Amino acid sequence: MSVAAEGELGFARTRSEQWAPVLLALLALLLVAATAEIVLDGALDHSALIPKSPEIAGWLKGIGERLGYRVFLIALLTFTAAYAGLVALAGRAGVISKRSAIILIGALHVIVFAGPILLSTDVFSYIAYARMGVEHGLNPYVHGPIAIAHDPIYYYVGQDWKHVATAYGPLYTLLSYPLAPLGVKGALWGMKLEALLASVGTLALTWRCARTRGLDPVKALLIVGANPLYIIYGLGGAHNDLIMLLLMMAAVSLTLAGRDASAAAAVVAGALVKATVAVLLPFMIVSKRSLKPLLGAGAALALGALIGYAAFGIHGIDVVAALNRDAAFVSTDSFATEIAHLFGKPGVFPVDHTLLKLALVLIGLHLLWRTWRGYDWVAASGWTLLAVSVTSTWLLAWYILWPLPLAVVARDRRLLVATLLVQGLFVAHQVSPLLAPVQ
Amino acid sequence: MTEASTPVEGSAWGRLPHWLRPRSAERSGSGRTRLVETTLLVLAGLLLAIATVNDVVRQTHVNQRLIADLRTWRSYTGHDYHNLSISQQLLGETSGREVVCGNTSPGMPKAETQLCLAIWGPVVDGRRTVHGGWYLPPKAEDLRADRYACFGPASPGVCSR
Repeated sequence: MSVAAEGELGFARTRSEQWAPVLLALLALLLVAATAEIVLDGALDHSALIPKSPEIAGWLKGIGERLGYRVFLIALLTFTAAYAGLVALAGRAGVISKRSAIILIGALHVIVFAGPILLSTDVFSYIAYARMGVEHGLNPYVHGPIAIAHDPIYYYVGQDWKHVATAYGPLYTLLSYPLAPLGVKGALWGMKLEALLASVGTLALTWRCARTRGLDPVKALLIVGANPLYIIYGLGGAHNDLIMLLLMMAAVSLTLAGRDASAAAAVVAGALVKATVAVLLPFMIVSKRSLKPLLGAGAALALGALIGYAAFGIHGIDVVAALNRDAAFVSTDSFATEIAHLFGKPGVFPVDHTLLKLALVLIGLHLLWRTWRGYDWVAASGWTLLAVSVTSTWLLAWYILWPLPLAVVARDRRLLVATLLVQGLFVAHQVSPLLAPVQ
Repeated sequence: MTEASTPVEGSAWGRLPHWLRPRSAERSGSGRTRLVETTLLVLAGLLLAIATVNDVVRQTHVNQRLIADLRTWRSYTGHDYHNLSISQQLLGETSGREVVCGNTSPGMPKAETQLCLAIWGPVVDGRRTVHGGWYLPPKAEDLRADRYACFGPASPGVCSR
């Protein structure tokens, strides 16, 4: 390269470095504004996007308008575009400081925490299951919320879930029990606080894991903590997936510290919250090739099963039944449904479920083999979680969050690209009401 | 803090054939597996992207049809009501035939006598053709037993009286 060309390149770099803080501030502002718009409009009243809820964000009423698809989708697309810009900017080392990243993510968390429950009724099911056990002496693994139709929480439980017993692990159910006596509003705030703390913990562990692996922790923090699906859907809906992610990242962090038995126990604890995270275990064991993770997992599983059985009987530890039941559900947002439509089919048929399960098994076996031959087990686990969500016929936004914290600390960059692409497609799939609003 | 490594050489695994032995880290230059994986990933990504775009276009067309159905109900009844319900299942989910129900006089949704119209056919001037319908008493769901005063060719299969 000639001296003149080098000088020109250096000048261009200096100029773009000068613009970077301005661009960063603009993108951060867009993220905060889009989140605030959704939260303020959502606080006004329930709508197709905001579930019926006890009034917990009444003090925000009167600022926004009732949240409709048009405003929500514009805000979501703005958030996503700003996030994409932020991720691109974060790729250049030193452009975004640790402090700026923490302030931005903190602001997004505070806004969502202060607002109403967004986009899902799941949190009301969590509370219903807790109240069934604590207030009514019923086993949430045997009965659906319909069994407590006279309880004030029942009114808020989603229509599809009123007859469905809990599919969550016994550890999560026991974690939710102390919130039941707080009343519906108190329990709702408790759930929101749990989700907030789990998110903060997940982000802190993601930071730690990235730094340990010699990756840029600020970039890792931003990619997870400012992610639109993480903030709007995951945190906004106070989903227990965040608790599962916390335990998943605790497991990765413990492995990186050489504490393999504790790491495997953390995975089992995560699976006792939500079973999906159990997919990490075979990769961890194959990668470590020692007895420690097996012993850790075995001890944690025995303890968890004992507690689960003591608290809920045999139904409390029959995770396979719950997984099989959920695997049969079909959602319009699932890629399986989209592909069925692409091939002119009205939807997913039983044979498709079988083919998808087979594909998942093959992917898992290939990744296990690759891990045996030295591939990064964190990346292999992330790929498996991504494959689980892509092949699932019941896909919800927060399911595509599962591989994200692993993707930012994995040694295979393709995983991050694939995860973000799948998330982008999910967001893109939401836009039809914007193109042709039915009213 | 350092990442724990797993020794392989000299362990029990050393007895396995070379190609079956576990490794602590991937051998550099194992590019062929990576190339195959990346190709499959790109193909899978393309399939997902095409399926997503196709589904957005399909759903947008469905929405446009539903908009035409709502307009048809309003123009047929002369009521500019916005609390209308659409059923895409009753006459077959993939048939493109919809049933739109709404009050015949002002009131809360389903609080008054409702008129349901069976609508299908191409969209012409933002509307489609009404092929029949029925009435429902106040506060009733659209169930066969509750339908009355049925009219038009669409009603025989779905009406009891």
